[in-house]
Amino acid sequence: MTDLLVFQLRRVTRSWQYLLFTVLLPALFTVFFTKVFGAQAADPAEYQEYARDYMVSMMCYGALGAALGATIRLSFDRASGWLRQLRVLPLPARTVVAVDVAVGMVLVLPSLLVVALVGRFVNDVELGLGSWAVLLGALWLGSGAFVALGMLLGLALEEKAAGAAIGILSVVLAALGGLWIPVWLFPDGLQLVARAMPSYWYGELGRAVVTGGSPAGAALVLAGFALLFTAAALAVGSRRPLHAVAG
Amino acid sequence: MAQTPALDVRGLTVRYGGTTAVHELDLLIPRGQTVALLGPNGAGKSSTVNAALGLFRPSSGTVEVLGRDPLTAVRTGGVGAMLQHGGLPSEARVGEVLRLVAGRYADPWPMADLVATTGIVGLTGRRTEQLSGGQRQRVLLALALAGTPPLLVLDEPTSAMDVEGRHAFWATMRSLADRGHTVVFATHHLDEADAVADRVVVVDGGRVVADGTAAQVKSGIAGRTVRFGCTDRTGLSDLPGVTAVGGTGDLVELATTDAEATLRALLAARDRLPDLEVRGASLEQAFLTLTGGTR
Repeated sequence: MTDLLVFQLRRVTRSWQYLLFTVLLPALFTVFFTKVFGAQAADPAEYQEYARDYMVSMMCYGALGAALGATIRLSFDRASGWLRQLRVLPLPARTVVAVDVAVGMVLVLPSLLVVALVGRFVNDVELGLGSWAVLLGALWLGSGAFVALGMLLGLALEEKAAGAAIGILSVVLAALGGLWIPVWLFPDGLQLVARAMPSYWYGELGRAVVTGGSPAGAALVLAGFALLFTAAALAVGSRRPLHAVAG
Repeated sequence: MAQTPALDVRGLTVRYGGTTAVHELDLLIPRGQTVALLGPNGAGKSSTVNAALGLFRPSSGTVEVLGRDPLTAVRTGGVGAMLQHGGLPSEARVGEVLRLVAGRYADPWPMADLVATTGIVGLTGRRTEQLSGGQRQRVLLALALAGTPPLLVLDEPTSAMDVEGRHAFWATMRSLADRGHTVVFATHHLDEADAVADRVVVVDGGRVVADGTAAQVKSGIAGRTVRFGCTDRTGLSDLPGVTAVGGTGDLVELATTDAEATLRALLAARDRLPDLEVRGASLEQAFLTLTGGTR
């Protein structure tokens, strides 16, 4: 399975858009918005709070974009006939699916790590070593919900819709989930919408870790989303085998 | 000990919704044969091939590949396949794809020789998006061969190739047969079946309508061809003896069971028959006769 994993990872990382939108852009946003808005902070404690929350939001934004981008591409491989080709190789179908999930999980890491490094060394975010580790671990595991969502969309969408989804979905999820603008600035109705977004609970998970709150509630909701997406992906997958080119 | 056949299809029926693509088809292919599945589009060739590869479960009937069920045969590296709707991954180099696939088999074809045999020297560093249609087909053939599988299943392998590429491809297929591979290929190119296969299975309407060597299939019709230049084809199919009307452009080819009667009728009706030629039926005529001249 390692051979296929390395092969697939190399393919995704070859696309410069992928690196731009999931690593570079969140990292630049982290610096830019923290410098612009953090500068208006009344005191260093308020700056810390701002820099920390914004870093967490951008880690989430980058990670969910990476998870979705790496997995929705499944649709391209079906359209090109590559999934069908894999099906006539000595390679169990289960391995092909497992590798796609693994690719999604692995590619979340650069986004998380780069934004965390930028937060720590450019914006001077201060966290205990333990908190850094728990934050990275929690957001890495939490990204599983978005890998599941990406697999579902990769299976369900046609090539063109999938291409559009990669570009739009992470932006929509990030915006409505309060990763760009904090949810407490939202009007009431939109706050309800935000709470229906997995991205909101993903952000909550990260904020709970850095503020020393309990991440259990957010983790539970995210796990629920992950289960829901996985069940839907399995349902779509059984109705529409991976190797089917169309229909 | 007798070897299990390369492919043993019994009573295969494939239905898609309301339409039946394959009806109770039986096909036994011993090892070492090169077999053309010949038929017009929609004859059931691809459905038969896909069932043999385990890509879907047939509605009824059984398929055994190398004595095992198709999925197991594919899993264990017994089969190499070139699919009609198969494809290459984007954002990858040809050489990377080849190495990935070859690495999956216990006994891969040596890379340099594989690349030379399939005519893709110089393409291994190329991105898959940069290949022409014919080059893609040859890379897909290389993928099918990468594991030196005993059974090769090729579905319309030359569909995107020009004449030159097609001839090179035939030479490759003949050399594979010489090496002892069993090759089963679906095609609607009659010249291809004639040039490569030592057995031709004509499929139409989901059934086998003829099976034998190209010569046997031709002689089974025991017909002749009357060929001449003509632009107006009306009434030709009603002439005595005529079983099918073929040919391209201004050239008409009549398959007939009674060349003399056909000629008499033609001469009575027309002043001129430019470029007239009468000869034994080609495989194309046999094919047209068997499949009701659907082309």
